Amino acid sequence: MLSNLVVTNQKVVLVIDELNRERIAPKFIGSLLHEQGQGAETIKALPTGVSLKHVATFEALITECANTKNNNTAGGEAGDLEASSPRSKSTGFNVILPTLADLLCYQTPAFIFGFLNRLRRSENVCRVFLWASPQHLQNPHADYILAGCEYLAELVLRLESDKLLSLISRKPGGGVSNRRYSCQVSKTSFQVTPLDGGLPAGASPKQPSPESEQTPEPASSTFKIELDEDEVVARNALTLPYERTCEPSEGNIIYTPDADDDFDEEDPDEDLCI
Amino acid sequence: MATSVLLACGLNEQKLPGFVHISEESNVDGSFLISCILGQRLRISNAGTLLVCLQHHYQHYFNAGMRLGYNTNIFQGKTLGVIDVLSDMAGEGLASKWLRNTEGQTLTEQLVEDIRAQVESNYASRNSYTVLIDNLSILFNLGASKLQVQQFCQDLAALAKERENLTVITKLSNSDIYQLTDNNVAKLGQVRIQVLRLKSGVFREVDGKLLIERVLDEGNYACEETRKEVLYKVNDRNVKIFAPGEIGVKV
Repeated sequence: MLSNLVVTNQKVVLVIDELNRERIAPKFIGSLLHEQGQGAETIKALPTGVSLKHVATFEALITECANTKNNNTAGGEAGDLEASSPRSKSTGFNVILPTLADLLCYQTPAFIFGFLNRLRRSENVCRVFLWASPQHLQNPHADYILAGCEYLAELVLRLESDKLLSLISRKPGGGVSNRRYSCQVSKTSFQVTPLDGGLPAGASPKQPSPESEQTPEPASSTFKIELDEDEVVARNALTLPYERTCEPSEGNIIYTPDADDDFDEEDPDEDLCI
Repeated sequence: MATSVLLACGLNEQKLPGFVHISEESNVDGSFLISCILGQRLRISNAGTLLVCLQHHYQHYFNAGMRLGYNTNIFQGKTLGVIDVLSDMAGEGLASKWLRNTEGQTLTEQLVEDIRAQVESNYASRNSYTVLIDNLSILFNLGASKLQVQQFCQDLAALAKERENLTVITKLSNSDIYQLTDNNVAKLGQVRIQVLRLKSGVFREVDGKLLIERVLDEGNYACEETRKEVLYKVNDRNVKIFAPGEIGVKV
């Protein structure tokens, strides 16, 4: 399921939607969380619409996350701070932001980036979800803003088409993976299957990898480059000449005289005092 | 006369979806849709209508209505309310409130305030209420920015959600030029009607094409949508609808 790939320890998840599904964005993300057992009490969402005009709406969300967590943590304030920080990552809230288009309608890009960064750093938040549809971004610098969100995100899910999606994941250790999946979507489920020959980390999704080009030759080709099992066994059993020299044995010359040879078994140098 | 158009668009019912958007491509005129919808809403008993005239003044809608078989003057002041921005500007000139930032409010904020005031005074006494906005692109000409127009439509969509039986119908012309604004407004509603020109040229029997997209059900991961395409011809006193392929070239 897609939720297995998206609802992970990565904190900031960006969904880039090329399919114009923006109207169901909150429901989409909510369903992913629900599939992974994240209850409604762990989900906080910013209201959409006119309320996004007011900065107080954003501050209220952060305050609500902090207050709710403090109320739920009984006797934890006196405990170790170090012990509480990994626990807050697992017990923090999942924040579903309005779509980037709705945010840009009321706030500046700088404010949005700042807010996203605050959520990313907040101990009371375990995941932040942001949905972006390029065909809805009403800003002359939409490409730059989208790139900025990709920079902040630890997981970038790109819904490329009805059948294909790609997932870029940045691990805390610095490793990056870029995988493509085929998908089967219905109203209630989203199944994904990894595509064979997935892209290595850092490779552009549009450049075919060398491994994916080595596809099995079609049945109509007469050029056979693959080996059967018998041929593989025979190849592995073959000892090459340079390998025989490594065998621990003394060197000697084995001479078989011909019929015309006058082979004398006496040593011709016997009379020499060497 | 307009029944076939509304039937094709799925707008002939008494209860309409909360938000409907009409996207009009360049070089086509979809004004007939506003006149058809207006006529249908006026004919429903105790249904309130608010017409926001931005592209034409009220007299134009009266004339169009007479051709389609209804008289808007009978309903004005009763079930029909009108916000005639153009006539106000023509009558008051630069002193018109639409051309001044009254109390620091922008044009779109003033318009939302007027619409809300009209809805609040008339909605309670009506079975249903329809707000018709013709035409959003005129707001650009009056100095509104794209973000302001988007906020304006968000406010209207919020208004439609607040009240049951309230429908907001917006129209945006030159939607191919204002593609982003058109997309952002269209996503607010369940029905989108695109008025498109014929791609292959001009035809005497057909003026253009209507593409009607309707969201039937919003699932968790995908929406169930229907798409329907019809051809239309606007005549002097009626509008004819054809299925694609019905009209052919006679040799």
